[in-house]
Amino acid sequence: MANELTLSVNGAKQVVSAAPETPLLFVLRNELKLTGPRLGCGMAQCGACSVLLDGEEVRACITPVSYAVGKQVTTIEGLPAVWAMQEGLSAPDAAKILHPVQQAWIDEQVPQCGYCQSGMMIVAVQLLAKNPNPTVAQIKDAFTNTPPSPHLCRCGTYTAIIDAVQRAATAMRAGKQAPR
Amino acid sequence: MTPKIKASSELPVASVTILTPLTAPITRRGFVKMGGALFVSLSIPAGLSCHAAKSPTSLDPSMLASWLEIHSDNTILARTGRTETGTGMSAYYAQAIAEELCVRPETISLVLGDTDRTPDGGPSAGFLYGMANVRKVAAYTHQALLGLAATQLGVPVSKLTVADAIVSGGGKSISYGQLVQGQQLDLKIPVTGMRAKVDPSSPEGNGLAGLDGFTVTGDPPTKPVSQYKVIGTSYPMPGIPDKITGKTQWTCDVTLPGMLHARMVRPVTLGSTLISVGALDKKQYPTAQVVTKGNLVAVLSPNEWEAIGAANSIAATTKWTEWTGLPGSDNLTKAIRDYKWGAPSQSKGNPAEVNAALLGARKTISATYELPYVRHAPIGPFLAVADVRSDGSVIVWTHSAQLQGLRAQIANTLSISTDMVVVRWLDHSGQYGRTTFGGDGAEADAVILSQLTGKPVRVQWTLQEDLAWSSVSPGYVLDLKAALDPNGHVIAFRSASYTPHQNDARLLGAVLAGMPSCLPRPGSWVATESPFSAWSYDKIPTRLEEAYGMPNLAAESASGGLRGNIMRTPGQRQQNFAVEGLMNEAAASAGADPIQFRINHITDQRLIDILNATAKAAGWEPRPSPHPRARKTGSASVTGRGLCIVVRNNAYWVGIAEIAVTPSTGAVQVTKFAIGVDCGKIINPRQLDRCMKSGVVMGLSEALKEEVTFDKSKVTSTNWTRYKILTMEETPEIKVVQISRDDKGFGGGSEAANALGPPAVAAAFFDATGVHARRIPLTPAYVTTLLKAQPRTP
Repeated sequence: MANELTLSVNGAKQVVSAAPETPLLFVLRNELKLTGPRLGCGMAQCGACSVLLDGEEVRACITPVSYAVGKQVTTIEGLPAVWAMQEGLSAPDAAKILHPVQQAWIDEQVPQCGYCQSGMMIVAVQLLAKNPNPTVAQIKDAFTNTPPSPHLCRCGTYTAIIDAVQRAATAMRAGKQAPR
Repeated sequence: MTPKIKASSELPVASVTILTPLTAPITRRGFVKMGGALFVSLSIPAGLSCHAAKSPTSLDPSMLASWLEIHSDNTILARTGRTETGTGMSAYYAQAIAEELCVRPETISLVLGDTDRTPDGGPSAGFLYGMANVRKVAAYTHQALLGLAATQLGVPVSKLTVADAIVSGGGKSISYGQLVQGQQLDLKIPVTGMRAKVDPSSPEGNGLAGLDGFTVTGDPPTKPVSQYKVIGTSYPMPGIPDKITGKTQWTCDVTLPGMLHARMVRPVTLGSTLISVGALDKKQYPTAQVVTKGNLVAVLSPNEWEAIGAANSIAATTKWTEWTGLPGSDNLTKAIRDYKWGAPSQSKGNPAEVNAALLGARKTISATYELPYVRHAPIGPFLAVADVRSDGSVIVWTHSAQLQGLRAQIANTLSISTDMVVVRWLDHSGQYGRTTFGGDGAEADAVILSQLTGKPVRVQWTLQEDLAWSSVSPGYVLDLKAALDPNGHVIAFRSASYTPHQNDARLLGAVLAGMPSCLPRPGSWVATESPFSAWSYDKIPTRLEEAYGMPNLAAESASGGLRGNIMRTPGQRQQNFAVEGLMNEAAASAGADPIQFRINHITDQRLIDILNATAKAAGWEPRPSPHPRARKTGSASVTGRGLCIVVRNNAYWVGIAEIAVTPSTGAVQVTKFAIGVDCGKIINPRQLDRCMKSGVVMGLSEALKEEVTFDKSKVTSTNWTRYKILTMEETPEIKVVQISRDDKGFGGGSEAANALGPPAVAAAFFDATGVHARRIPLTPAYVTTLLKAQPRTP
């Protein structure tokens, strides 16, 4: 049976009506129209649905929406605001920027079909929050060996992702990104 | 739809909740009313097909306005029936148009794929043909614009120059936007071809004709390569920023008023038929409904989560007949061997000469190679949204790579006119060839369910469903034999490949529902020597290549069995694995360096150049394989290196793998890979670089990990722990070598990269262990068996 649940998504309070066991992914996509995270395997084996919950990556396809209550949910749509807050940007400037990870994904031309890339950027943001200067081996480890499963890309963009994570790391260490 | 945010005023795109009504398609009058649209008819072209002009849901490919609009602000809208699959084609199309029209590619917006908003059709694969179309259209338009400018400026065409949409001459200038303001040119685009249709007698054997759509003909003056400003630069793929920010409207994002979410309940085996549908607990699932037609069973609800729960509940209580009839994937080679083969589907070469050479040779070598069933396996399972309206018209949103073919199939399944069907394209997960013939996918499910419920329906396949029920790239068995002269040089070569059907374009939903479907014919082809590929070893003049095709495994079952389909570099990927394997064995037999041995058998300098350039990048030291320190036992890893070539679509490819094998565990790690290509004039080095590296990843995935497994009744590799693909950690350092040539035209710079991984890794495995790997994937289990079973090759 549907319950009224209050969520905090990309910094905004959202009240949704959903059965508490509904996977967070369907609430984000179908109720809140946040379509960055996408359904891949539906069983936490691929990472296409990943979002941040209080800064930690979770697979939204198996995370009950009730588990997200009281936590900060971040999708790729909310990444620019995360960076703006970290950098103390003014609201007008914040509206003009991308998160350095997103900018690096564009600069390195990472996506092919792009279906998995929302989840890939979420991993990158989490990794760089913990390790601002990761080696190639550490990047590979984060994208492959972090439970519950490797993040999979069928188009084969792994080398571009590695390049983009390193580019983003450099930009983030350098600090504030110029408004676009 | 369009990979750019900006769109033409009459095409509301990227906002799929505000849909262009099907009842108000674009008309030619609509184009004229827009103002500023260039609009033409120069001549009555030969071979013009006019039937499309009568249809309100098709554009007439002979009309310039169907292809191109130039707006008063100098921006350009271009339309092509082909789509972006992620390999950068939308960048190439914009570049080709920009080059011929002398504008910046940033000023060009593209409409892709939609059957009612693009003129030509054709698959997204083979962008060269799609690019040739828009390039010629741009060239024709350029000439027309020069003519207009000459009149307006009073300056002869020969004295005019164009830069960034400004035509200048005689000290005067005028922009394209100004030139076309209020103008109506009569320019017709000469085309040949036809719209796709279901046709059992189609020569391709997939049951459809016209899949290539329309081709622009004639020979308009095009810009000399030496004057290129845009082609050859690394223009970014237009859709990327929106994919990064979450603005892209994907197929899975389509929502329509009153739309139902559907989950399919598939038969428990490939051959099961429905006995009874389980009862729906309306108390637990109040908004859900069950719909069946034949063996097609679905559960629908306005709420996606409720549809999922109800479908799982129904699946648990629905009864199906028992069925066995598959050989089991462990018995694949035997099943293929046991088939009663008749004549080959295709044969090239001279049997008498080859057999005489083999009989008369002092030495021969022969080997059998085997490849398992593999599949396209995108991260996002199939999905489609369909709305069958009360007037019988149909609109479908899809990520298919063959929109017109799919449109024809849907019309055929519903037994309605093609003109009643509109198919719209949106981004989604990659296809890797599985929809090139207009088949497969969730589209038939969606239209059948929409027709039955009277509501728009969104069908989302699950991963398990996709990995079990989507079409597959079939297994191969290949027998090869070569005659060697006293120096070990190959003087005659014979190959025979045996494979199930790989042309099955039927839509699963139609098959299961017992509704009309196209009728593909099994068959195979010699892919190493075809319109797409040249025989690489032209110093071996005496050769015979035979391709044998059989029906799908379990073809007679209710679902049609394992529906075989093409996958990137189809046929050639598998056949080249065996050819390169035997060439490697011949090189070893001759005690020759594998690169020098290949060079000894070819004359084409392009191939020799890219071999040498890639070898240099890889730091290749000439010596024979196996390595003197090769071994097949021990717990310490042993390294090896190996190479292969592929020639396809005016592109010459070289792959060099370095690997480490741990004999005691059977683990194979690819540590480095060098990939080289000469694909004529490189259109976009950056996008090509992306395609090369990602192709290596997919090829290594096939070499090391991928196999569709099945028991006697169903596919069993139905999740990512059973159908394993390469991970980031397993991806090696990749070096890329590109050779661009101004005088060799354009070549295919994408899919053949996939075909390099398996033969290069197999060659490196031999170099490391002295054991020939004649089957993939090189999983730890298989490698362990292989190393234990075989004596070290001398």
